[in-house]
Amino acid sequence: MVAAYLTTGALAVILGLDRVAVLQCMVSRPLVAAPLTGWLLGIPMAGVEVGMMLELLWLGRLPVGAVIPPDDTQVAIGATALALTMERLLGLHGMPAVILCVLVAIPLGMIGQYADTRVREANNLLAGSADAAAAAGDSRRIEQLHWRGVGHFILAALFTCSVIVAGGTLLLYPLAPLLVGTVHETGLALQYSFTMIGAAVLLGTLNVSRGFFLFGAAFVATLLVIGLR
Amino acid sequence: MSTPRISLSILLHGCLRSILQQGSWNFERMQNLGFIYQLLPGLRRLYGPTPPAGVLQRHTEYFNTHPYMASWIAGTVLRLEEKQLAGETLPVNAATFRSMVMAPYAAMGDALFWGALRPLAAVVALLLAIQGILWAPLVLLLIYNLPHLMCRCGGWLLGYRQGLASVELLQRLRLPDVAIRLKELTIILLGVLCALLAARGCAHQEIAPSWGLALLPVVLVFTWMARRGVSSFSLVVITTASLLGLALVF
Repeated sequence: MVAAYLTTGALAVILGLDRVAVLQCMVSRPLVAAPLTGWLLGIPMAGVEVGMMLELLWLGRLPVGAVIPPDDTQVAIGATALALTMERLLGLHGMPAVILCVLVAIPLGMIGQYADTRVREANNLLAGSADAAAAAGDSRRIEQLHWRGVGHFILAALFTCSVIVAGGTLLLYPLAPLLVGTVHETGLALQYSFTMIGAAVLLGTLNVSRGFFLFGAAFVATLLVIGLR
Repeated sequence: MSTPRISLSILLHGCLRSILQQGSWNFERMQNLGFIYQLLPGLRRLYGPTPPAGVLQRHTEYFNTHPYMASWIAGTVLRLEEKQLAGETLPVNAATFRSMVMAPYAAMGDALFWGALRPLAAVVALLLAIQGILWAPLVLLLIYNLPHLMCRCGGWLLGYRQGLASVELLQRLRLPDVAIRLKELTIILLGVLCALLAARGCAHQEIAPSWGLALLPVVLVFTWMARRGVSSFSLVVITTASLLGLALVF
């Protein structure tokens, strides 16, 4: 398990940096981050399932200006790591266990917004120090300060992922055996509800005239085609 | 008109540095350090190993735009710095240009990349993932990153090569129109995705796919609630509690 947690931590940092600080090539999206985590932890299907459930949920929350969206990257990585923990500690696996991990990771992941806010406040100090460096004509110092900002983002990613995995394990260890049967009873409904909610929220945020018509027409036409086959 | 003095290797260095554009994002000056971090190799080429304090100070001012569009601005700013140093008379100086364009460039980038391309790539990948295709995440990365890297690297190089003319080039690309078309396509694919999930749920319950139509008003009600300010988290809590409650009762 130590190797698995070290891998999780490394992924939390690498993929977490992609969210804001470095490149932003979308390896931080849940549909990429969770399958990658699952693959490296030896539970690829759990990773794919986590990614599918979380991908659309906060996609409509745009990181524009000072807006800080929920940290769906750490939720995805943390939920996948929790799925492995549940399998190893309690012998729980399969879709119901994965759903429980996601359900626990989502509220715990709210800490990510807090951590992101603290990082940006800490970086305010760097901007102040950069003023002094610029006035002194010290461009090397400006570069160092910039890299220190990256370090703050690394700490925030590790903190958020740790809270999700540690807090989630503490919550799920006693609760998961009690709830897993009930979750199993919901069938596919609970699993698909995450994607449906995400789709609905995204539809609400994509400001397109005729949006409802396009969505409804595509929905009905697809069901008709499936029904006629 | 002066000939460009910045070599391709220094431009590539600046392009590589653009990946850290938001490395020290902060509430007060936002991307200011990332902006100057990208410019510094070019500024050192122009002004020597220690650029003057005045140059450093004007590029550590407040700066905020879309992270990929920042490269367009940085490239143009570097060219303007070069022309200013050569003593050319410019219609606008580097610092003023940066302040003038950062908001409109941000609006274009946010609408295209965050608002349109990212959802489109995600929905296409999800459509593949629900079919059991395990390389769906790679499709997401491919769809998203071809335009992303073209904008980040191409924008930096074009911004420098064309200077102020890069603004006209960007206008000709009509990015806001492209964003609207991509959003429309995303909405259509969202409809297909939800219908496929509904049909799969019906098949699991061994009922006709047409029963899936009952989910359409549910999705639209959720959309209405989201537009009223109900968060995704609240919707998850409401739905989960309802479904678990139903499972316990029946």
